[in-house]
Amino acid sequence: MTMESEHPQDDAAAASDKLILSLHGLKKHFPIKEGALQRVVGQVRAVDGVSFDIRSGETVGLVGESGCGKTTLGRCVSGLTDPSDGAVYFNITEGDRDRVDALRDIPDEQRSEQEREELAALDEAHCINQLNEQARRHYRRNCQVVFQDAFASLNPRHLVNDIVGRPLQVYGEASGSELTTRTVQLLEQVGLGSQHLYRYPHQFSGGQRQRISIARALALNPELIILDEPTSALDVSVQAQILNLLHELQRERNLAYLFITHDLSVVRHMADRIVVMYLGKVVEAGRTQDIFERPQHPYTKALLAASPDLSDDTDTEIPTLEGTVPDPAHPPQGCRFHTRCPVATPACGWDVDDVVRGLENQENLFDGLSAVNRVSPFEAQLTFDNEASARALADTLHSNAISASMREALEEAVVRDRTINIRFNPAEEVELTERAPGHIAACVLDPAAR
Amino acid sequence: MVDSPNTDQIYLQTRDSAWRVRAQRGWELTRTMLANPTTVIGLTIVVLLILMALSAPWITEPNTPDAYQMPRDWSAVRVPPGSPGHILGTTNRGGDVLYGVIWGARTSLKLSLMVVSLTVVIGVVIGSVAGFTGGRVDEVLMRIVDVFLSIPELIFALAIAAVLGPSFTNIILALVVVFWVKYARIMRSQIIRIKQSEYIDAARVIGDSKLRIYLRDILPNSFTPVMVQATLDMGNIVLVGATLSFIGLSEAGIAEWGVLVSEGQAGISAGRWWAPTFPGLMVFLWALAFNLVGDGLRDVFDPRTESAR
Repeated sequence: MTMESEHPQDDAAAASDKLILSLHGLKKHFPIKEGALQRVVGQVRAVDGVSFDIRSGETVGLVGESGCGKTTLGRCVSGLTDPSDGAVYFNITEGDRDRVDALRDIPDEQRSEQEREELAALDEAHCINQLNEQARRHYRRNCQVVFQDAFASLNPRHLVNDIVGRPLQVYGEASGSELTTRTVQLLEQVGLGSQHLYRYPHQFSGGQRQRISIARALALNPELIILDEPTSALDVSVQAQILNLLHELQRERNLAYLFITHDLSVVRHMADRIVVMYLGKVVEAGRTQDIFERPQHPYTKALLAASPDLSDDTDTEIPTLEGTVPDPAHPPQGCRFHTRCPVATPACGWDVDDVVRGLENQENLFDGLSAVNRVSPFEAQLTFDNEASARALADTLHSNAISASMREALEEAVVRDRTINIRFNPAEEVELTERAPGHIAACVLDPAAR
Repeated sequence: MVDSPNTDQIYLQTRDSAWRVRAQRGWELTRTMLANPTTVIGLTIVVLLILMALSAPWITEPNTPDAYQMPRDWSAVRVPPGSPGHILGTTNRGGDVLYGVIWGARTSLKLSLMVVSLTVVIGVVIGSVAGFTGGRVDEVLMRIVDVFLSIPELIFALAIAAVLGPSFTNIILALVVVFWVKYARIMRSQIIRIKQSEYIDAARVIGDSKLRIYLRDILPNSFTPVMVQATLDMGNIVLVGATLSFIGLSEAGIAEWGVLVSEGQAGISAGRWWAPTFPGLMVFLWALAFNLVGDGLRDVFDPRTESAR
């Protein structure tokens, strides 16, 4: 992108210094409970430290495969679940946001009394989980959600009249004839009309139901709407209609959207910026054009390659994604994407779990396994029933059955009696680094080298 | 757009159609139910039995001072059906079988309505608490329900009624203790299911209160299985109640089918079949009719097809 084309956007961003939403290190971990006593045996890290901002009137596309935590993130933002850690700030200026970032980066015990008070004041004023009752209501009104399954999100026993008018009723905004009038107005804004007032949701088509959902979300004049895969359950032709409707509404009302989707092509023409998530982490974020033209992370490239109508725009050398997202209860070390990454390097964080992940399809290999002694995520002793099994695993680890970069990262695979000692080169979690102004990505590969 | 002058007009017109749409939906459900011939048979019998119960004071001369006590005609003891003044005969203590059959329907209606309404309220409250709070409260409540369910209905009711002593009120109490558990279970599972639906999330996002979400979304959507069970229980309760009365746990001499059967059973060997047969037949009809209607309701409200209705 040239400097000329970059400036107008920067000016627009500077003009609206107010951030509708700012996520700071948002985490949502679900405990895994086991046994009669419901002991917590692990954590599913659905969202694991996500930070980004949404400016007023802006569309941010949140993209990732199913299971990467994007819906959970949406639920945290809309207040349907409380985050385990981190915070969501609402209606905050960029200056205050920077202050929050700075204060939160200081470890709890090192904050001075004054800093603590300052953070508490900012939290109370803007953090959605600490707002007082009145401010919480204000936030509730200003952040609405359109769900993926329009049918499931409409009460089957309520008439459209009740559904769309309900937000107005809840806040005592209208009743009687005024309620009906405003409900009709809302329906007309989404392309329906008064003739639809007294019908049940099942009497509508999928696209119409999604329109009803949108009308309900608009009722309270929100500043932000979270769109959780609003079109993925619809036919392609209907998808386009709904996207156009959303686009128009945004122009008319200066709405900000958090557009959650697994399909990059859907947000290409909607989103101003795109955030790509993988296994609860942001792997890349930047302006839509930058993401599409110069994707930095192999995961983003793979997603682009997976979008059929976009494939000619990108390098075709990147194969589409294979396999499934690893278990978020045991995310891979280093870069979480390295297990499926087509360009993984030895420095990407290969670990002991990858041995099992990569070889579990090989028959009989782990049959004789009798004990595992885990020293660290990168080192473990596997004890087998007999020496032959241990040797077989060692041979496999040196063969082509595992990727070259993993073999290179493998420092030791020594067999002593029936035990094999496996040790990998330890790697840190990959930090997000700036690749271009406003464009960040988390990948060990050096952008200068490409 | 809509101008203010015709706003009221639209309001009136649309309020009317909202009512019409709901009525139409009710009518469609009724029609689906009536398309099933066994349901129609069951419903007909139910209506006739209830009519009989309601019009008892006009069909027969109510006994004084207590109409629920069998009148005793000591001048006509053990007369067979067809005798003058005693169309269905009398018992060995001069009780008119026809009077017992008609007022027994009234007793049964009273019994089943009281027990069903009490058990539904108790069950729905306990089930809702368990389903909503979850965790330890839910665990404790559901284990209690399990204990109740592990004892056979009849034996449990019998034991309670026996402990409390023979009286009609105690039969109601015993039946309430036995029958509430099913509703608690049904309600809990419904709430847990519906709590996870997206339209509950949607209502929460709007900012509606928990109580209103419960009343507007959860209760109406969870009530059909409770209703089906209540209809089935209208029959079952009379069946169990009559059994308890038969054993002698009800007040003696009351116009109740079970009491009547027990009064007449001694005469069976002597060929006096009428005293136990007619009330027995009534119990059978009552239980059958409500079960047929309950099954019909279940078919209509089958969860697999319900969403389309």
